[in-house]
Amino acid sequence: MSHRAARPHRNPHPPVNRREMLQRIGAGFGSLGLAGMLAAEPAHATQAGSPLAPKAPHFAPKAKHVIQLFMPGGPSQVDTFDYKPQIDKHAGERPSIVNRKTLRNTKNGLFPSPFGFQQYGQSGKWVSDIFPHVAQHVDDLCFVHSMHTDIPEHAGAMLMMNLGHLQPSRPSMGSWLTYGLGTENQDLPGFIAMSPRAQPRGKLANWGNSFLPGAYAGTYVNIAEMKQDQILRDLKNNWLPRASQRQQADLLAKLNHLDLEQQQTDQQLEASIQAMEMAFRMQFAVPDVFDTTQETQTTLDMYGDSEYAKGCLLARRLVERGVRMVQLSHSIDGYDIAWDTGHGDIAGGHKRLAQACDQGIAALIKDLKQRGLFDSTLVIWGGEFGRAPTSEGQKGRDHDHYGFTVWMAGGGVKSGLSYGSTDEFGCTAVENRVHVHDLHATILHLMGLDHERLTYRYSGRDFRLTDVHGKVVHDIIA
Amino acid sequence: METLQDPHPNSNLPMHCDLPMHCPLLFTSINRSLLCLLMLFSSATAQAAEHEFFETKIRPLLAEHCYSCHSGKSEKLQAGLYLDRADGLTQGGESGPAIVAGKPDESLLIRAVRYEENEMPPDGKLADAEIAALTKWVERGAKWPADQTNAKIANETGYDWNYFRNEHWSLQPITLPIPPTVNETDWPKDDIDQFVLAALESANLPPAKAASPQILARRIYLDLIGIPPTPNEVDEFVSAAAEGRQQAIADLVDNLLASPHYGERWGRHWLDVARYSDGYGGFLDNRANQHAWRYRDWVVKAFNNDQPYDQFVKAQIAGDLLGTQSDAIGTGFFALGPNYQSDGGDPDSVAQAKSETLDDRMDTLSRGFLALTVSCARCHDHKFDPIPQIDYYSLAGIFHNSGVRETPLVSDDIVKAYNDRQNEIKQREKQINELQKKAKQENRELSKSEQTQLEKWKVELDELRKSAPSKYPSAHALHDKGSSNLHVALRGNSRKPGEEAPRRFLEILSATERSPYSEGSGRIELANSIANASNPLTARVIVNRIWLQHFGKALVRSPSNFGSLGETPTHPLLLDWLAANFIESGWSIKTLHRQIMSSSTYQMSSQMNSDNFARDGDNRLIWRMNPRRMDVEAWRDSLLAVTGELDLTIGGPPLDNLSSTRRRTLYAKVSRNGDVFESDRFLRLFDFPLMRATVAQRPSSIVPQQFLFLMNSRFMVDRAEALATKLETAATNDDQRIELAYRLLFGRLPRANELELGRRFVSDNSSLKNPDENGDKLARFVQYAQVLLSSNEFMYVR
Repeated sequence: MSHRAARPHRNPHPPVNRREMLQRIGAGFGSLGLAGMLAAEPAHATQAGSPLAPKAPHFAPKAKHVIQLFMPGGPSQVDTFDYKPQIDKHAGERPSIVNRKTLRNTKNGLFPSPFGFQQYGQSGKWVSDIFPHVAQHVDDLCFVHSMHTDIPEHAGAMLMMNLGHLQPSRPSMGSWLTYGLGTENQDLPGFIAMSPRAQPRGKLANWGNSFLPGAYAGTYVNIAEMKQDQILRDLKNNWLPRASQRQQADLLAKLNHLDLEQQQTDQQLEASIQAMEMAFRMQFAVPDVFDTTQETQTTLDMYGDSEYAKGCLLARRLVERGVRMVQLSHSIDGYDIAWDTGHGDIAGGHKRLAQACDQGIAALIKDLKQRGLFDSTLVIWGGEFGRAPTSEGQKGRDHDHYGFTVWMAGGGVKSGLSYGSTDEFGCTAVENRVHVHDLHATILHLMGLDHERLTYRYSGRDFRLTDVHGKVVHDIIA
Repeated sequence: METLQDPHPNSNLPMHCDLPMHCPLLFTSINRSLLCLLMLFSSATAQAAEHEFFETKIRPLLAEHCYSCHSGKSEKLQAGLYLDRADGLTQGGESGPAIVAGKPDESLLIRAVRYEENEMPPDGKLADAEIAALTKWVERGAKWPADQTNAKIANETGYDWNYFRNEHWSLQPITLPIPPTVNETDWPKDDIDQFVLAALESANLPPAKAASPQILARRIYLDLIGIPPTPNEVDEFVSAAAEGRQQAIADLVDNLLASPHYGERWGRHWLDVARYSDGYGGFLDNRANQHAWRYRDWVVKAFNNDQPYDQFVKAQIAGDLLGTQSDAIGTGFFALGPNYQSDGGDPDSVAQAKSETLDDRMDTLSRGFLALTVSCARCHDHKFDPIPQIDYYSLAGIFHNSGVRETPLVSDDIVKAYNDRQNEIKQREKQINELQKKAKQENRELSKSEQTQLEKWKVELDELRKSAPSKYPSAHALHDKGSSNLHVALRGNSRKPGEEAPRRFLEILSATERSPYSEGSGRIELANSIANASNPLTARVIVNRIWLQHFGKALVRSPSNFGSLGETPTHPLLLDWLAANFIESGWSIKTLHRQIMSSSTYQMSSQMNSDNFARDGDNRLIWRMNPRRMDVEAWRDSLLAVTGELDLTIGGPPLDNLSSTRRRTLYAKVSRNGDVFESDRFLRLFDFPLMRATVAQRPSSIVPQQFLFLMNSRFMVDRAEALATKLETAATNDDQRIELAYRLLFGRLPRANELELGRRFVSDNSSLKNPDENGDKLARFVQYAQVLLSSNEFMYVR
């Protein structure tokens, strides 16, 4: 006989209500947990203890969700959105302001874009001919032409863009966001990373949780190979129909409740009972959200049939259901730094890459607007750095980390704005320079988080997404 | 005996502090010790907030924009004004006082940054937010924290060495304290208990009653070997305990400490500190450390042999210099860390890769052995602990002179025999190739004699290959490769060298006269400085780590940070008592286990006591055993053990897939980023930490994905089927089977309601009534077994 069997199972002082109970146990679990639970009350009371339960931001957010359209390999700014007619005028020359060290230390002169540029929208924004669909939405976009980053190597620069550090030893931005804010739909992961075929270089580090708790890890989905019931590992039960599975779950819940009674109070045990129920629901909610056959033909046509477009459509379905962040990385031909074909051939490589994503991205913006999700969703497009206006070989461009372009749209950013600028040839950010850390600080700000207060204690110190850097770019906030 | 009590028995924590409750994230941004401080002294809240404000907003701002001209470190001080010290501000410089506390508009500093006069900084106006922060700071009195709560904390004028040398708890010499007296004299079984009980009595918290023998058996087995007891082993212990409980425990502990599985369990705890992995760190560090497991097995053996901890430490720092090949394996502690490369050869990236690699060594060394965060001094003097930046580069220089290589674990003769034969083989291959190539170049067939020669060589080559000695074993180990010094890297940038940093030990842990290390890299001298009874940290740090694994919560709750920002010990005298006895015992970890486990403290029940819980919910005073969720190793091993499937083979190369092997979890192949192997996925799902940096304590998270694994994975279904089969053959009816399952899994019999639930579940065939619609592919008893294996009671140690 267990020594416990003879004891009454009752707590001699049953908590009067939830708040009082939490206060009673508060000392045990640290005020962190306590405050988190109180903040979530009462709307999400049932999810107390879940690390992904929604949490209050630091201040009123402008956006609730992030869709990052990540372009690994480094798209060229002067062939896409940073129009520089001066290059044509000085073709072949190498003025001192572009005579900067690049990764491969190329020595060639200015190389005109092989693409035509047209003006679009009320803002009269010049856009390259390879992005005709996105061009239709320039009045919705906020271009930042004055981005710069630390090094001209893919690996480090991609990590800088996705986790704010040159080494793969920090949590990704999506992990920070779910850590700071939780997520709105407890039946789905809070942070989903997707790409067609190739994972971006660095793989898991781009969506990893690093030292943050496991609950904040991104879930990766390969769009090309995905099977709806295998989005998460072990999502599908291959042995039992739902009814039998439910009986199993019920028995487990009962036994765990009996055990909890024996222990009287244990936050971890309570949380685990919640988590099991959540897992049970996920089995059905996850395949459902990834099932694009539920969309109308009109919608499907609007996105087109590229793999990246499918990712854009999934991104909309995910944020629609409350997923906090979606990171959708571009790739064609299974190449993990797809835009890097720019070294040898801007004309061919960039054109194919743009074609594979242009329509999908434009459709995403349109779709978000149609569904009233645009204002609460922050869309971010860009790579880890840009490419030099000078040529590499005959028709390519080397990396350029001194200046490049990203654009944002939706949740809280000004529309139809072009912020900051590179020099007259597009080489170096000169006006209103924005470092990647500043971009991160701004993204967190738009999500209602102070980048200096969103910290996690590890290794004896408090870590931040922005490390010891980062300034919010208030000028682009609507 | 007032001095023997813990300084902060925070048994009655205030539930409301002044921090805004609507803002949970604020709590995450404040370090735990500061939080603790806030809760203890709610009146200190404002002070602490001021301090936080100063350290995060003001000091960095002054440092960035003003110190190049206005600090003790300025090359040429401008206008006689120091902005790196409190009196500098109030006394001011040539233009008078820089600030008038509380009056920003009258403060020269504020007027200057507003560009109202003396426009400062000269190279560009501060951002509005920065000016606002400075204004706010002056408005609130321009508090300089040096004269406040954290007076000991370093400021720009230097560290309060006096405080650290004479007062900071972890840096004081270890002495053997006398155990305090207690009222309840029946309770203590040894000195440990007197320290614990004295603190409980002074806080008026009764200790929990003793745990039942059944609970204790399961706890001790899982604690020492990570495998639960069989029902027979539980029965044996229960009857032995009825004869004499203390003797039964002592005997069981002795038996388990003698088991080779003890080293597998406790070696793994150390491997967390050593951030052990098999390599595969990703694109900048993708090397496979194929011999890593030699270090893992070396650690297991060291624990099994109860290698004195000081020797264990020495071997890991300088084993290659100690003489035996086995000791050299110990340096895997460093050699298995990341060795970053640059992916494009950009000079900045190359320098960065090298300094990141050194930083791994600094961090693992200092937090692992000393619980000091030396890495914080990489770019600047440590902000809170007395670790000047130059100390970082003094230590880093030692590893700058230490290379990583594959060291053979056999005699030179064997290596030579192997290499000679390989050379012969290559020679013969070359001859064969050259002959064929020659004929091909001359565009002709081989002549008859050439053909014969070729055949002969091929036969010989075959022979050479067949009789070649197999590859000898090797380990990844360090070796000395120089004795040069590094220079301080200004702002952490190694391409901007500052003053030379002689290789030597940390200033705070040295006598006033420090002589530089002179033997080769200096590692052997470093090893002696660390594994030293007079080092105040080494013994305290390891006994605290051992305590942590026995109780789930350490005496110092920041086991890898004993500095200013770390926690203070809940039982400082007990910690010293353990450390002093540990050194006295010849640094014997097994002796320490015996001391701890024979105490009433260890043997307490984990039963809830609501009154105690309300007052000390965090169990800082140890009024009960902490109930604990198993780590992934113990849990997976237990699953295989109770189903009778566990393969207890010890040691050897690692295994890629934990789902398909029945070996112990320790033997999983682990990638540094946790993203390469099937085994990584299994481990990471259940909180196996990232092996990128030394791990002080495992997290314990609960996420739905874990339940997807429990409900739907092949691994769990396989275990459930094995358990069901075992129950099927061992017992004849359902009741017996259910009872046996409870004994196997939980070490107890089912309660009546549990038995009834089980009966109903296994006999309910409602889901089988209509096989066309349902179609269960698992027998009802298998489904039941899976539920029990997934249960919380199985996953927890109590």
